[in-house]
Amino acid sequence: MLKNHSPSENHLNHSLRLLKWFCPPGLYEGIEGDLLEQFENDRKEFGEKKARRRFAWHVVKFFRPGIFLRNRFSNQLINTVMWGNYFKVATRNIAKRKLYSFINAIGLSIGIAFSVLIYLYIQDEKNFDRFHVNKDRIYRLDKASYNTQAAQRGEYPVKRSAYVPLPLGNAVKDEIPEVQYLTRFNGGERGIFRYGEKVFSEGITLVDADFFRMFSFPLIAGSADRLFSDKYEVVLTPEIAQKYFGQEEPVGKVITLDLQGEKQFTVTGLIETPPANSSLIFKILVPIQSHPRYEHNLDQWGSFSFPTFIQLYPQATITDLKTKADTVIKKYMGEMLDRWHKEQNVPAGFSFFEPAYTNLADIHLKTEVGWDKVSDPKYAWILGGIALLIIVIASINYISLALTTSASRKIEVGIRKVVGAHRQQLVWQFGLESLMLAVISMFIGLGLAVFFLPAFNEFTGKGIALISLSMAQVAGASLGIALVVGLLAGSYPAVFLSGFLPVTVLKGGFTSKMKAGFTKPLVVFQFFLSASMIICSIIMYRQMEFIATKDLGFDKEHVLVIPTQTGWSEEADRVVEQFRNKMSAEPSVVDVAGTSSSFSRGHSIYGYKIKDENKRAYVYRVDPEYISLLSLTLKEGRNFDKRIASDGNAVIINESLARDMGWDNPLEEHLNWREDTVGLGSQVIGVLSDYHFLSLNNDIEPMFLSIDKKSTGYLTTMLVKLSPGDIPQKIEKVKSAWAELYPDKPFDYSFMDEDVAKQYNSYKRWMSITALSTGFAIFIACLGLFGLAGINAVNRTKEIGIRKVMGAELSHIFVLLNKQFVLLAVIAFLLAAPLSWYFMNKWLASFKYVITVGWELFAVSMLAGMSIALLTVSYHAIKAAWINPADTLKYE
Amino acid sequence: MAKEYLGEFEELVLTIVGILGEEAYGNAIVAEIKERLGREVNLSAVHVTLYRLEDKGFLKSRMGGATNARGGRRKRIFTITNAGLAMLKAMKEARVDLWKLIPRLNYDSILY
Repeated sequence: MLKNHSPSENHLNHSLRLLKWFCPPGLYEGIEGDLLEQFENDRKEFGEKKARRRFAWHVVKFFRPGIFLRNRFSNQLINTVMWGNYFKVATRNIAKRKLYSFINAIGLSIGIAFSVLIYLYIQDEKNFDRFHVNKDRIYRLDKASYNTQAAQRGEYPVKRSAYVPLPLGNAVKDEIPEVQYLTRFNGGERGIFRYGEKVFSEGITLVDADFFRMFSFPLIAGSADRLFSDKYEVVLTPEIAQKYFGQEEPVGKVITLDLQGEKQFTVTGLIETPPANSSLIFKILVPIQSHPRYEHNLDQWGSFSFPTFIQLYPQATITDLKTKADTVIKKYMGEMLDRWHKEQNVPAGFSFFEPAYTNLADIHLKTEVGWDKVSDPKYAWILGGIALLIIVIASINYISLALTTSASRKIEVGIRKVVGAHRQQLVWQFGLESLMLAVISMFIGLGLAVFFLPAFNEFTGKGIALISLSMAQVAGASLGIALVVGLLAGSYPAVFLSGFLPVTVLKGGFTSKMKAGFTKPLVVFQFFLSASMIICSIIMYRQMEFIATKDLGFDKEHVLVIPTQTGWSEEADRVVEQFRNKMSAEPSVVDVAGTSSSFSRGHSIYGYKIKDENKRAYVYRVDPEYISLLSLTLKEGRNFDKRIASDGNAVIINESLARDMGWDNPLEEHLNWREDTVGLGSQVIGVLSDYHFLSLNNDIEPMFLSIDKKSTGYLTTMLVKLSPGDIPQKIEKVKSAWAELYPDKPFDYSFMDEDVAKQYNSYKRWMSITALSTGFAIFIACLGLFGLAGINAVNRTKEIGIRKVMGAELSHIFVLLNKQFVLLAVIAFLLAAPLSWYFMNKWLASFKYVITVGWELFAVSMLAGMSIALLTVSYHAIKAAWINPADTLKYE
Repeated sequence: MAKEYLGEFEELVLTIVGILGEEAYGNAIVAEIKERLGREVNLSAVHVTLYRLEDKGFLKSRMGGATNARGGRRKRIFTITNAGLAMLKAMKEARVDLWKLIPRLNYDSILY
């Protein structure tokens, strides 16, 4: 019989306890009896084990609203009555202790504002490129290839890139039936756009006609089916149309575009500017077939330079595409790839070209393939982490302040309990209070988020706009955050406060002093977080400062970088020459030189084989004025000389190249970089001291200069060195000289030092974000500290009064009150130092040239943090120390 | 008076309570439904329905006497109220009225 706790009933106890927990007491016995009876029946029918399983399952099935919500309304009635009271008491409390409410609300609202911004950021990252209707069927054809350099460095040797040969696109479209549309997307071209008097150099994007059918960029004028049926058509974004045609109707206008040769194009369409969350960016679209090198490139299977997008038919799968594309590639490129494979000793299983496919929606977060705006998901994590830290710090404020001020609520708790409040009701009451505060903070936080959104967009390089849909999402998300924070921060104080025993509290045994034991670790933790952030910001700042001021080995001041606007042709050299002659009489221009590419604006690398060893070097086509203009140091040898005919075939190398080749006397050597079979190659006539022609993320690689236009290209960029002082006026002079010489060519320029600095933009951005959030974190932590110090001082008012009466010095009291906070801060710093050191070492690893992180950096951080903390707590300490003891002690 | 409406399962449970008279409690109802209709029903579903019917006033319940079976737990015995009986009757009549309206012809052709 079950009555006397037979073994089987013990087994059932678990389930019954669950039942008891959710089942209204009035129903419990009847249900329990029915369940046990069924168990008995089941046991006879199925045996002990199965019956027990069924029993548990039956209990679980009773967990339904019809049971556990039944008869709850009678309880609820009382609760709602009390809620009015809770609400009133909560408002009074918030209003009464304005300072603490302010600290709590400000902290929480900054935390919420941060989280909202980060939520928007993550949403934006996730929604990148999702606006294309056909996104699921569009793939970018990538190249996965074996990379010798990576293999030498010991990395995973397969690297991916978005560039494939031009004819591959044509072959894929023609020969694979699953492919519905295909377009190239070549955004790197620049051309001179001319309409009437208006001439500017513009970025041109080359695409196929299918572009308009694949992607969902709305057309303002023109139809997707007919656009680009002729190869001399052009489609513009409204900004460009406005720039050239003003209020006139753009469609039908004939413009001239110089894309390595002038051609007339008719504007046949207008297309919306791509939104900020589009990976495809363009201003002027031109059919790729109109490019002068198109025909030539059509049999260049070895030239990987055309990003290609494929759209499949709805029923086709990517697997179909993969197998068929492999066949196409084997057919056209197999022989060439095999040859390369043998020549370059690629290990088996690897290849110089394997196709890979990236879905349109994945492009943005695929960092391994370089593309416009591609972004690392880790930034979202970092931002999220920062937001979490700030929320945690703010919640700790709430908890510690609630605990330390609990004394004033003790009597209230006692009275409520005596009058008949359940503990649960008190938990609800305090929970409601923190929720109220969280919701108030939410509104402030939302306001802050809206206010800071433009600044945030600037920091992160995003274009997030608050449209109605995302506003609803934001409101939902922030409400969620507020509720979670309110519950988390409120739950511990609620449980703590509701736990007071009415007898002890009301008897008056407690003095007004409270125990703050639990708040100390919280303060340490809070300080630990702030300290880590301080250390990180200081190290980041020092590194960026180091980069900005490091001597790069060349003089980048007052150098204008001017594109010659000639395309890849002989004429470029002539422009530099003419301009130099024109400016020779101008005192404000020190020098004019030409180069194939300026720093941070592209480079070319040549690979060559010497004694069966693969070498590579960066190559700059220059003219003899180049070295003096940039104040490069010739360590050995001489500069190029136009009068010496053989210099056309000579090179000036840098020290790295000499080291790479293992030359002791470079001037006696020849660099056979064109792999001549007859002759020795180029004579080395000079050696330059190493200088940073690449960003400081890179080592100084082997490099050489040449004046050989046939092999190393034309002087497409002109460098103009100005004398110091009154730069704007000098630029005007250069500009008018240019306009005189080339009235039909646009004048673009940039400063070399700005170009160089731009390479570190993303680091700078992250530094600002860290600095900003560090500021907020410290601010909130200080608010909390301020509150705690205040309570501490109030608690010890009498003690201080007595001490003063007994003759204590002011300074003594000051030390007494601050001692413990200093101790807490020191502990926090000791914890924070190794952690931030670890993270910062990781960050610094992305630079080749770094500051040394010495103890003095930590000392500075600690000093900074400590003084902030001391300043914060001192207010109360000084105030307490100054009080006349008569005021505090007269009531005793 | 607003016309109360009963769902199919509610009507079934109400009817069974009527049939069982003084012996209607959770397990008995489940067993009865299985025996008479061959239909497996959930004990928890039956309980919830019983409480709902009680809320609507078609049933009333009391605790039975303790027995040695069921671990000594008392049964909650349900009995049908007059309102419940009236409801069942009204529903039956409404159905019969509707049934009569089905054209005979079709009915015959299906039968034979």
